[in-house]
Amino acid sequence: MGDSIFFTTLEELINWGRSNSVWPLTFGLACCAIEMMGTQGSHYDIGRFGSEIFRNSPRQSDLMIVAGTVTKKMAPRVRRLYEQMASPRYVIAYGSCATSGGPYQGAYSVVMGVDKVVPVDVYVPGCPPTPEALIYAINKLQEKIRKGEAGR
Amino acid sequence: MIIEKGKNKDGTDYILIDKESLIDTLSSLKRDGYNYLVLMSAVDYKKYREVVYHLSSYNENKIIVVKVRPEDDTLPSATPIWDSANWFERELYDLMGIKFTGHPNLKRIFLPEGWVGHPLRKDYDLSKEQFVNMNDDGTDRVSFDPKDGW
Repeated sequence: MGDSIFFTTLEELINWGRSNSVWPLTFGLACCAIEMMGTQGSHYDIGRFGSEIFRNSPRQSDLMIVAGTVTKKMAPRVRRLYEQMASPRYVIAYGSCATSGGPYQGAYSVVMGVDKVVPVDVYVPGCPPTPEALIYAINKLQEKIRKGEAGR
Repeated sequence: MIIEKGKNKDGTDYILIDKESLIDTLSSLKRDGYNYLVLMSAVDYKKYREVVYHLSSYNENKIIVVKVRPEDDTLPSATPIWDSANWFERELYDLMGIKFTGHPNLKRIFLPEGWVGHPLRKDYDLSKEQFVNMNDDGTDRVSFDPKDGW
């Protein structure tokens, strides 16, 4: 770099930093969590995009990947975990169950989409979505963070 | 008393018995070597409901299916014969509303306490949606109001 000088706003700098260290919460609800674990593993390795560490505590994580069916019994727990995360926090609805209820349309026990419980930034369709889809979703989330559009 | 005998589509034998001889039949089958209760399930045929016991034998590798039709939705509990019947019967009570007399702990196993109705019954009212929320002490609270909680 030598004697180069970069000009930026503080907000852009912060957003750039946040977008490159999105740490997810270890939080799997159903079979989609298997794909999420595969994404985290060495073959796909979301560590390449700054999300390498799945934190076990909501207090230390930025991103909640809702991977799986949100049952009505689980919904208040999802809400509580979300509230325990420090701001700014991001949510990815991973799989058709988390986006819309998916194959459980009209079921007595399932919440029709996690966006009824917590605000969602990126939706990933699929049953289950591939690890590539999750990586793409994280890239999209990073774009949103850099533009300052995501996070609550 | 055996009402009906036959073969299921997968080739296993089944017997349909009456409610009064259920416990006697199950215990004599256990004496005959069916020492493992694989599965208990229930079917709602609208006119009647049927409880199905899948029994298998570890030593002789054989399977038999016992079916019984409980009038007024009560049956004697099979927990004294197989301990694994405990949670199966709680599941059937939870989702199908079949009461097992003599069960040590007959309460809901999946759905929270306070849920109205038994959802796998054909006459379950799906039009009224129920919502589960959490009290401060971690217990569940069921309500029909979607704005209560999340």
